[in-house]
Amino acid sequence: MATDTQIRVAPVQEPGAQKTAHGAGRFKLMGWGLLAPVLGFFLVLNVIPTFWLIGLGFYKYSLGRGTPQWRGIDNFTGIIESQEMWGAFGRTLRFMLVGVSIEVILGVALGFLFWGSVKMPGRRLALTLLFAPMVMAPVASGLFWKLIYEPTFGVINAIIQGLGGTKIDFLTSIDWALPAVLFVDIWMWTPFMILMTLAALGSVPAAELEAAEVDRLSFWNRLRHVILPHGKFILMLGVLLRTIDAFKTTDLIWTMTGGGPGNKTELIGVALYRQAFNSLDLGRASAVSLILLIIAIAFTSIYLYVLNLSKNR
Amino acid sequence: MAVATTTRNGRTIWYYITLWAVALLFFAPVVWILMTGFKETADILATPPKLIFQPSLDNFQRVLAESETIPYALNSLWLALGSVVVAVAVSFPAAYAFSRWKFPFTDFLMFLLLSTRMIPAAAAVIPVFQMFNAFGLRGRLGMFLLYTSFSIPFSVWILKGFIDGVSERFDETAIVSGASRLHVMMRVVLPQVKPGLIAAFIFNLIFAWNEYIFNFVLGSAETQTVPFGLSVNLLAAGGNVDWGFVAAMSSMYVVLPMVMIFFFQKYLLVGMTFGTVRGDV
Repeated sequence: MATDTQIRVAPVQEPGAQKTAHGAGRFKLMGWGLLAPVLGFFLVLNVIPTFWLIGLGFYKYSLGRGTPQWRGIDNFTGIIESQEMWGAFGRTLRFMLVGVSIEVILGVALGFLFWGSVKMPGRRLALTLLFAPMVMAPVASGLFWKLIYEPTFGVINAIIQGLGGTKIDFLTSIDWALPAVLFVDIWMWTPFMILMTLAALGSVPAAELEAAEVDRLSFWNRLRHVILPHGKFILMLGVLLRTIDAFKTTDLIWTMTGGGPGNKTELIGVALYRQAFNSLDLGRASAVSLILLIIAIAFTSIYLYVLNLSKNR
Repeated sequence: MAVATTTRNGRTIWYYITLWAVALLFFAPVVWILMTGFKETADILATPPKLIFQPSLDNFQRVLAESETIPYALNSLWLALGSVVVAVAVSFPAAYAFSRWKFPFTDFLMFLLLSTRMIPAAAAVIPVFQMFNAFGLRGRLGMFLLYTSFSIPFSVWILKGFIDGVSERFDETAIVSGASRLHVMMRVVLPQVKPGLIAAFIFNLIFAWNEYIFNFVLGSAETQTVPFGLSVNLLAAGGNVDWGFVAAMSSMYVVLPMVMIFFFQKYLLVGMTFGTVRGDV
C-alpha cells in the first residue's frame, strides 16, 4: 500500500521537487546573504585579531623596538614561572571569591526585600537610583570613589575622624587598597544581583505562591519547594555572569589605583595592561591574553550549559 | 478592624521607607559627586566636608568652556549612536537567518559571539592595537568599525532570542500567500520583535558610551571620548586633580545611562544578561 502510493505520487511530484531543490539553493544563498555583514565584522575584528594574538604569543616583540623574533613557547613557560603573574591570578581569584560572595548574599537578601515593592510609590525612580551604579561608566565610578576616599578632604576620612579615628589614605595603603577597591566593586554590582534575584522571584508562577500561602508553608519550605525550583537557573546565571565580570575587572581599578600601591590591587586585567603598555612586552602580554581567552571560552561553555539546562527543563 | 488596617498601612509605609532608604544609600556616592560639581574649589577642599554650601555653576561652565570638552562629547555621541545603529541594522537580518535557516554551525557561532562577552578587554585590545597600527586604522573609520563590532554579538543574541519567540507559522502563512522572504522579515517579524530592537539599541548605547580601554589605547584626537578625557584629567594631573572640574564633567556624563534605565527599565534585565534572561522585574 505504502509503496503503491509512493510510485503513484512520485511522477507527479518530480517537477515540483526540482523546483523546490532550485528554490532551496536560492533560499540557502539568501540566508548567507543575511548573515554576511555580521560574519564580515566577526571575521575582520574578532577572528583575524585572534590569529594575530596566537601568532604574537610565540614571538619576542617589544613595542617600537625592532622586528618580532621567534621565541617558541618561552612566553608561556615564562608566565608559568613568573611570580608576578601567579600573584595577579591569585589576587584575581580572591577578589572574585570575596567580591562575588558578598554581592550574591547582599543582592539576594535585598532582592527578597524588594520583592513586594510592585505598588511602591515612585518605584521606577527608586529602582533607577538603585541600579545606577552598574550602568554608569566604570571610569566615572572610579573617579567618584577616588574623591570619596581622598585622604585630606574625602568624606569617609571626615567620618572616621568625626568618630575619633585616624585618617587612612585608602588607595595608597598597602593594607587598605584592595578592600577599598573591593568595596567599590560590591557597591557597583550588588544591584545586579538584586536585579537577578527579582527576575528569579518573578519567574515563580503566582498560582504556586498562592497555593503555598494557602498551605501555610514556612518560609524555608516555600523557598525549597516553590521558589528555588523555578528561580535557581536565573540565580545561577547571575552568579556566573558576576564571576566572569569580576574576573574581567580592569577599568575601575585602573582609574582608582592603577594596580598599586606596588601590585596590591593588580588584578589580571590590570597586570596584562601594564605588561603590554607599560613594559611594552607585547609577546608576553599576548601569551597572557591567550590564556585568558581560553579561560573565557571555558566560562562561556559553563554559562551556555546552565542556560540550556534552564531552557530544557 | 480599623486598628488592624492602620497597623498594616503603617507597616507598608515603613516597608516603603526602608526600600527607598536602600535605593538612596546606593545612590549616595553619586549625589556626593553631584554636590561636589556644584561647589567652589574652597568648599571642595574644606575639612570637614561641607554638606551645606553656596551652590555655583562655575565648574559646569568651566567644563563647557574647556576647548576639548565639546569634541570629547561629540565623539562619545557619534561613536556610540552611529555604531549601535549600524550594529542593530546588520544584526537583525543575521539573527533572523540564525533563527530560521538553522544552519548546522548556528550553535557554534552563537557560542563564539557569546564568548566575546567573556574576554577581558585588556586581552582583546592587544591584537587589535597591532592590527590597527599595521593597517593605519586608528582614525574615525577604524574606531567606528571597532565599536560596531562590540555591539554586534549582544544584538544578535538578544534579537535571535526574540525572533525564536515568533512562531514560524507567521512566516509560512505569509509565504503561502505570496510574500517574499524579505517582506516576511521586515513586515511580519520585525514589528513583533520591537522590544528586542529597543533593548539591543539602549544597552549597546550604554556600553559603547561607557567603553574606556579601547578608546584609551587606540583613540586619537578625532575619536577620544569623555571617559578618555576624564582619565586624562584624573591620571595626568598627578596630585593636583581639579576635582570640581572632573566632578562636573562626570556627573554630566552619567546622566544618559540613568535616563535610559529610567525610561526603559523593563529592558534592564535582558540588557544586563546579554539577552539570555527575560522576565519581569
